[in-house]
Amino acid sequence: MSTTNNRVKPALVVGMSTCNIAAGAQEVYDLCQETLTEQKLDVELRITGCLGMCYAEPQVQFIDADGTTHLYANMTATRMRKVIAEHVVDGQPRDKWIANPEEGETKALLGKQKRIVLDNCGHIDPDQLDDYLAVDGYQALKTVLTEKSPTEVIDIMSASGLRGRGGAGFPTGLKWKFALGAEGDKKYIVCNADEGDPGAFMDRTTLESDPHAVLEGMAIGGFATGADEAYIYCRAEYPMAVARLHRAIAEAEEKKYLGEKIFGTDFNFTIHVKEGAGAFVCGEETALLASIEGRRGMPRIRPPFPAQSGLFGKPTTINNVETWANVPWIIRNGADAFASYGTEKSKGTKVFALAGKIARGGLVEVPMGITLDEIIHEVGGGTGTSRQVKAVQMGGPSGGCVPRELFNTKIDYDEVNKTGAIMGSGGMVVMDDTTCMVDVARYFLDFTQLESCGKCTFCRIGTTRMLEILTRICEGKGKAEDIDTLEDLAEQIRTTSLCGLGQTAPNPVLTTLRYFRKEYEEHIHDHKCWAGKCRNLCSFEITDQCNGCMVCKKNCPVDAITGTKKQKHIIDQEACIQCGVCRDFCKYDSVVVI
Amino acid sequence: MEKITITLDGEKVAVDPGSTILQAAKRQGKFIPTFCDNKELKPFASCFVCVVEVEGGRGNLIPSCSTTVTDGMVVKTNTERVKKARRTCVELLLSDHVGDCLGPCMTACPAGIDIPGFISHLAKGEDRQALELIKHDMPLPGILGRVCTRPCEEACRRQLVEKPIAICHLKRFAADAISASGDEYLPTPAAATGKKVAVVGAGPAGLTAAYYLQLLGHQCTIYEAHEAAGGMVRYGIPSYRLPRDVIEREAEVIGKLGATYKFNTRLGQDITLDQLRNDYDAVFLGLGAQKASSMRVKGEDTEGVLTGIGFLGDVSRNESYSIGDRVMVVGGGNTAIDAARTAARLGAKEVTILYRRTRAEMPAWEEEIDAAEEEGIKLDLLAAPTQVDKGANGTLAVTCIRMELGEPDDSGRRRPVPQAGSEHVREMDNVIAAIGQGVDASMAEGIKQTRWGSLVADEHTMQTNLPNVFSGGDCVSGADIAVTAVAAGRRAAISIDQFVRGQAVVGDNKSYCHSMGKLDEIPKEVVTPFTETPRVPMPHLEAKSRAKIFDEVETGFTPEQIREEAKRCMECGCRDAHECRLRSYATQFGADVDHFSGQGREYHRDDSHQEIVHESHKCIQCGTCVRITENLLGTSAMGFVGRGFTARVKPALGRELAKVDGTGLQKIVENCPVGALTFKEDKVATLDPKFKRPTPQGAL
Repeated sequence: MSTTNNRVKPALVVGMSTCNIAAGAQEVYDLCQETLTEQKLDVELRITGCLGMCYAEPQVQFIDADGTTHLYANMTATRMRKVIAEHVVDGQPRDKWIANPEEGETKALLGKQKRIVLDNCGHIDPDQLDDYLAVDGYQALKTVLTEKSPTEVIDIMSASGLRGRGGAGFPTGLKWKFALGAEGDKKYIVCNADEGDPGAFMDRTTLESDPHAVLEGMAIGGFATGADEAYIYCRAEYPMAVARLHRAIAEAEEKKYLGEKIFGTDFNFTIHVKEGAGAFVCGEETALLASIEGRRGMPRIRPPFPAQSGLFGKPTTINNVETWANVPWIIRNGADAFASYGTEKSKGTKVFALAGKIARGGLVEVPMGITLDEIIHEVGGGTGTSRQVKAVQMGGPSGGCVPRELFNTKIDYDEVNKTGAIMGSGGMVVMDDTTCMVDVARYFLDFTQLESCGKCTFCRIGTTRMLEILTRICEGKGKAEDIDTLEDLAEQIRTTSLCGLGQTAPNPVLTTLRYFRKEYEEHIHDHKCWAGKCRNLCSFEITDQCNGCMVCKKNCPVDAITGTKKQKHIIDQEACIQCGVCRDFCKYDSVVVI
Repeated sequence: MEKITITLDGEKVAVDPGSTILQAAKRQGKFIPTFCDNKELKPFASCFVCVVEVEGGRGNLIPSCSTTVTDGMVVKTNTERVKKARRTCVELLLSDHVGDCLGPCMTACPAGIDIPGFISHLAKGEDRQALELIKHDMPLPGILGRVCTRPCEEACRRQLVEKPIAICHLKRFAADAISASGDEYLPTPAAATGKKVAVVGAGPAGLTAAYYLQLLGHQCTIYEAHEAAGGMVRYGIPSYRLPRDVIEREAEVIGKLGATYKFNTRLGQDITLDQLRNDYDAVFLGLGAQKASSMRVKGEDTEGVLTGIGFLGDVSRNESYSIGDRVMVVGGGNTAIDAARTAARLGAKEVTILYRRTRAEMPAWEEEIDAAEEEGIKLDLLAAPTQVDKGANGTLAVTCIRMELGEPDDSGRRRPVPQAGSEHVREMDNVIAAIGQGVDASMAEGIKQTRWGSLVADEHTMQTNLPNVFSGGDCVSGADIAVTAVAAGRRAAISIDQFVRGQAVVGDNKSYCHSMGKLDEIPKEVVTPFTETPRVPMPHLEAKSRAKIFDEVETGFTPEQIREEAKRCMECGCRDAHECRLRSYATQFGADVDHFSGQGREYHRDDSHQEIVHESHKCIQCGTCVRITENLLGTSAMGFVGRGFTARVKPALGRELAKVDGTGLQKIVENCPVGALTFKEDKVATLDPKFKRPTPQGAL
């Protein structure tokens, strides 16, 4: 509950990000609009982006006349009607649905977070430049243009210790320095918003919730490197982000925060939005540049690096959304403030998308140096069930599976690398003991195999051969030599591919082999998948713990479960198709793999 | 321009700045393989077969084609890691490569005859070139053209349309036609080396070894226990199937090339191996498998019981040999059929073949069984003799038992099981036991033998445990088909050549050969362009007129029939087999096609263009054609389509090749490193005239 002393006009602020809308926010918004109009209530209706609490959406913030904000979570139209009637009209908060940051789950979620990139997300209206200006928006750009030289800006970036948030962690200041030093009559800035990892939505949320922060960061980068034109390469599957970017650019240009002679200086900066067609490999910078140029998104060998010869052959600085979004904060608050967070070599904060078997799935931003355990168990709340977390996949399909035993690993580029995973762009898929690690490796490899551009032999064919072996193992047809072949091929693909996609594609296999080798062996030699995922390799049984609640019976898709109320149920093994739905539905952990 | 210094495989060398590692290494005479590098194009780095190790960095292997040298760079081009990566690269490409380097007929032929090549000559009436091509790998086409069991035809893809090409008959025609022309084909041997080789046995293996050894310049003496050349094809095959003049004619050629025959000279009796080893630079043993196997029944040594091989040999020497009226032949192989048909020709009134399994299990050639039945020979199946006794008036009383088929045995055939109580006695004048032959190599002293008595020789070089003794044919393999013996003889000749020249004995160099698979694995699109055209049947004497004479039954094709039949050949095999870099590297790196087996690409052949064939199933995705059209021709005729494993190089907008901008398309064909793009006018893999298979001294 945040309070100001001034009397303000009450407002309902509906979270209208993609995730909120997917959870039903449009209905809630429409209900608000209708009700406020019908009842002629003097309440403002606004929208905002995502607070990061995706596990409890849709969310509506009610700012009362005292300026106090009440956060309502898990809203539906029905609930919203009650909230308006009871709280907005009658002043009686519906405590049951309130999820204010000072208490309970929300407190646990936010307690260990430090929000730099996500600071404005879920608070300002992304479609209103004024909202951004009200939180010191474009002040950093003004400072830079009117008070600093490009070199000074780069020095600040270097001093802050900011490293590329796209995954590889290249020092941002150094990258800009190369671009500034590169000779060219024309230079470009590129924002990589081709977020493609399964389970990752950091960039989407940032663009949908605070687009101006990214634009401002890019303009600062343009000034620092000598570029006057920029592209945001955003996947077309993010229509809301694309729309908000277009609107933000238009408004910023209209109000002279972008365009020509910004803040009355000689600095000109225009930004284009280029929609990508959804090829994962276009997140690789050389493929991305090719795609902007209108060519097939295929990586090329570096050197030359984009800083020397990038877009249309000109020196180009490419950073991802999160990196750009950090820039205005660093300029406003100083390099030291940023560097006060984090570890020796990894400064500042990192945004993570928590997904999978996690209680509080959503977007979190934590200071570097925090442990995986703190993120998963304290911030994310663990699995939220009686099951234990088994591992976390970091860095998407290019990353690796870190087992629970290594959850004391600090969030730090080098520390994470030591586990065999990578920091990546921030995807964290949490798994419990119902997750089969061979199946996980198969899933991610299936993804990279499909998304390979098909140029290099090792990546195109090698990943397919690995996938075939993994599929075979999951189907119970694994051969004794399969593990050796997988390791051999993985190692060769890792070291003999042109771009990051191929070089990292084997990581999920290598890490699961490193930490969960026993599961592979059980699949191959014992024909057992104890996680209960690989259908040919498991059976389910109901234990004596069953209290006869009948939920499993009702949900069994093939009517393989018999039993009457309050009596132990039985699975007909002949009829059972090993889908595991009974286990998923059982609240008493009475369904086990045999 | 000032040179810079790099360390290349441990040596400091001065190289041009700005050049790639690949260019610099090539200039230093280093071998680095590449598919995608092309001197007219900018580096692309797609195939990754050119990787090298460069010190420093993250330890990744570096594509040498697209990495520029820098001063002080330390490059290693041939470490174990590099070699492994190259092999893996090729193995991965092979696992996604659909096509045949050579036609399946060629691959199936033990002698590796260039079958599509000689057939295409025959189709054009070039009989002499056809024969030259055949004799490059197999010197007995008149003989084998009549008696070969034709593994080539079993593999022939034409079966997917209707019937296989009559390869064997075509081969016979080439031999007969040139012989009949009077202008015999006699290749010119290499200059005499002064080396002497003793060849023991004038059967298919020995004759073949001698033929190629003479061509390679060595002087052969052929020792033969019998009175004439031919070995088992003479003494085991009746003249109505293989006229003796055909054997004479082909054996004489070897004499004309300079070999000397010494007939009626038996190893272990007239000469010893020790003697030969002392007197000659090398010895080839082609002893055959001439010992008839025993029926293992009581009384099989009774007078009137003959062996198939003994009987056929005797008839071969004396066609007025006398035989009884009622003859029982025991066995189901070709020798049994030959013996039965021969007995009938000699005047036997009732000839029965007794075989213990059913007709389906008979190892004899289907057409031969049919021919025997046509000639009035009876098959008595599921029966076997158990005892032979002397009967009344010099006849034989043969006790037989009926059989039924039980569980499959080790050979996969169902085991015959005697039916209790089914014994019965039959009266016969002669019994001919034709149940197989074994090796008697007791006279080959000092040579390692198997427990079955056959000789042990390296299966590739044919060298025995005595370094100057080589051996091949039935005496090594056990009784087998003639063409296998021919192949062994040729392999031995190449090894002997290496041996007598003091070189390492490595045998024939064998190129990697990719295959689309067995008949049932062939995509149906392969044969869709072909329409049904019946196989030309072999003209033959009518059963009635032939059954009592030893005249050749199969009378041979006419030239018109030959041209017609030859045109049925679908020309399987690849036009690029001898220039294909994938094949060449696969051979060089010892690639194993099954190492990374898995799903391969779909078959897609685009014949729409007048001059060019595009076979995307052979494409290795190096992108050369795409880059040529884009960067050199200024068209977008070819492009990459799709992602992942199914990414493909295709003509623009998924059109047929004939429908895209055709400017300068010849250039993409010339630069395709594999057979994905070829010119229609080029023939499928043929050894002649442009390509001679590499052999020692180039003589073969």
